[in-house]
Amino acid sequence: MLSVDDLHLAAGPRELVHGVSFTLTPGEAIGLVGESGSGKTLTCRAILGVPPPGVTVTGGTIALAGEDVSRYTRRQWDRVRGTRVAAVFQDPASYLNPSLTVGRQLDEVLRVKNGLSRRDARARAVELFASMGLHRPEHVHGQYPYELSGGMLQRVLIAIAVSGDPDLLVADEATTALDVTVQAEVLDLIAGLRERRRLSLLLVSHDLAVVAQLCDRVVVLRDGRVVESGPTRQVLDDPADPYTRALVADHREYGLDRLVTR
Amino acid sequence: MTAALEADGVEVWLGRRATSRILDGVGLTAPAGQIVGLIGETGSGKTTLARAIAGLAPLHAGAVRVDGVPVSGLRGAELRRFRRTGRVQYVFQDPLRSLDPDLTVAESVAEGLAVRGDGRAADRRTAAVAALRLVGLDPALGDRLPGQISGGQRQRVTLARALAVGPRVLLLDEPVSALDAANRNHVLRVLDRLRRERELAIVLITHDLGSLAGVADRIVVLHHGRVVEEGPATQVLLAPEHPYTQRLIASVPSIDGPRPIYARSTT
Amino acid sequence: MRALRLAVRLPSARVALAVLGVVVVLMAVGEWLAPYDPLHQDTTAILAGPSAEHWLGTDYVGRDVLSRLLAGSRLSVIAAAEAVGLGLLLGVLPGLASVYLGRVFEWLSLRVMDGLMALPFIIFAIAVAALLGNGLHQAMFAVGVLLAPTFYRVTRAAAGGLRQAQYVEAATLFGATRWRIVRTHVWQKVLPTVVVTTATAMAGALLVVSSLTFLGIGVQPPAPTWGGMLASDLGYLSQRPFGPLAPALLIIVTVAALNALADAITVDPATSTKEAHDAVRR
Repeated sequence: MLSVDDLHLAAGPRELVHGVSFTLTPGEAIGLVGESGSGKTLTCRAILGVPPPGVTVTGGTIALAGEDVSRYTRRQWDRVRGTRVAAVFQDPASYLNPSLTVGRQLDEVLRVKNGLSRRDARARAVELFASMGLHRPEHVHGQYPYELSGGMLQRVLIAIAVSGDPDLLVADEATTALDVTVQAEVLDLIAGLRERRRLSLLLVSHDLAVVAQLCDRVVVLRDGRVVESGPTRQVLDDPADPYTRALVADHREYGLDRLVTR
Repeated sequence: MTAALEADGVEVWLGRRATSRILDGVGLTAPAGQIVGLIGETGSGKTTLARAIAGLAPLHAGAVRVDGVPVSGLRGAELRRFRRTGRVQYVFQDPLRSLDPDLTVAESVAEGLAVRGDGRAADRRTAAVAALRLVGLDPALGDRLPGQISGGQRQRVTLARALAVGPRVLLLDEPVSALDAANRNHVLRVLDRLRRERELAIVLITHDLGSLAGVADRIVVLHHGRVVEEGPATQVLLAPEHPYTQRLIASVPSIDGPRPIYARSTT
Repeated sequence: MRALRLAVRLPSARVALAVLGVVVVLMAVGEWLAPYDPLHQDTTAILAGPSAEHWLGTDYVGRDVLSRLLAGSRLSVIAAAEAVGLGLLLGVLPGLASVYLGRVFEWLSLRVMDGLMALPFIIFAIAVAALLGNGLHQAMFAVGVLLAPTFYRVTRAAAGGLRQAQYVEAATLFGATRWRIVRTHVWQKVLPTVVVTTATAMAGALLVVSSLTFLGIGVQPPAPTWGGMLASDLGYLSQRPFGPLAPALLIIVTVAALNALADAITVDPATSTKEAHDAVRR
């Protein structure tokens, strides 16, 4: 599905990611973890074809369904994005136009990407909103971004992301800014979408517990290199690399897990 | 014995209408040397409560006392004089926005002392360095601008700024929710030490119950502007009574594996 | 502050500063550089073209154009600076005060500024000249008063956003006075905006001084100014078609330099590189 092989990223002369490799099979979920500066967000943005300004792929390949996309042009990306790979990020509000209703923004995507008529697009949009667990989807369709809570906006963004029926969903800190109960709901939603749509998932998070909720495998990054990867339970319960051990120990030092055994 | 911080019957209204209350008769007590966790989600009023205690939001009813002395009625020069004692300090949620981008870290940390007029610039600089050390930061960061340090460091700078003036009561709004585990632990350890060594009364506001385990002495749960549950931390975390608290706890993700699907059924 | 420092590194800002530097030098020592007395009439050479004696030719009464331009720089620039200075004083201080002194002052100052903004520029200047006498200082007083709302508005806009800034709240919690907050937190953020506005206002004021003197308001004829020269030269366009070129070019180049400088400060290279830097860090 997704195969990242020896990926190097650099900003000018400074190399930031030094040969990251991992593969994601159809329907699988991988968690990309590491502290800030580990290169997890850079890697994820390169996979989406939107590296930060000044950062370029200097080596290696990113294969989406067998095709190397790492040197794709903008136009080639337009074809792939939404239909093969889609993404949600930490701050949903900044990805929506504040002066258009959220429904209209999803309609637009459906009409351009899926070639639906105005009426069909609207019907499909309401359907999608409903399947995202948004109550009163018709009503939400006519609301502006400022009228919705952070959790609702993230659901709208997920609806837009999956509207093109992608094979891979990238979630970059998508639940970090949400309240715990809302985070739990959104994680449940993503878990449900994976099952129903056979979505592959690339989850980027600094919170190991979030990764533990959804992912089959974990890739641990440090300073632009993979230090460890493997099945989630193996990496989190019995980390082999000292850095991963430190991450897990840090995570366990405080938190509910100290008190409650579940 | 009077607690370092006592707030009772706090009401804050939205605008001037008593019908829309952000806080509706909330009480909060923080004795010296204790960490009180204030739990609440978006819209619960937790930030408003902290702002009201700090005097940044107007109280429509209720009182705030620091070491038994009422402070919520102070105005004008009297209020300024009280504030210059630095007894109540508030650490904002977003460290980037709460640091002036044009001031160096040391200037920001020393600001409270400069306002108060303590010592000469060199003395204040020394005090700022001490405060940076207290929160585990390299004093060499003092010459940097907020844009030149990491998010975790900025969070500790705002903590150092509050500590520099020697507070009795420290209010922290979501100090760890945006941090990765290593930075979170660091901040929590600093707070734990401050409570023991400096007898600070600390109010730790967070939406994440999990981060309070092992740190908080007491926990107060705020929901829609009211306290729904309150008690010793272990009791609230292990045997929550109110359904809302139960749901909060069930929503906290665990590193040990997927949480039973719980949140979905209760929304 | 950083915006100002960084802007100076841009080539366009450097060229603009160089041009303005020359204008300032002309203003300071132009009178002494002038080869002739700007008021001396050479009746043997009226409306003469450029020559070895008169590099830029002579005007309709035989005065040396180069000398008049050099001497005129001082009057024109000083007049514009006077107007802008008054505008700064009457605009920036009330602008800051309207944000930090409370509602009553805010309401009052807003109404006064709205009133001023409704007045048409040149007509107000003429009216003031009629009332206070036709002199350069009177005219510049009028222009300065009318520039005040611009400064008031931009200062208010820049400072108003900071009223709720968390670092301002943090300072309030330390017991800082409003004056201290303005000094340590607000002023640095407002300064670049004020500098930009000053540069554009200076450009505008130069044009207004030129138009007013062109209309014969402010400076009485024999005294040389750029606008006055432009006006008199235009009258003899058929005899000396290139005549207005020199004063017009001087006005255009100076105004363009001021605007270019303002642009350079607004286009802050720091923000774009900082964003890239932040993205890399994450």
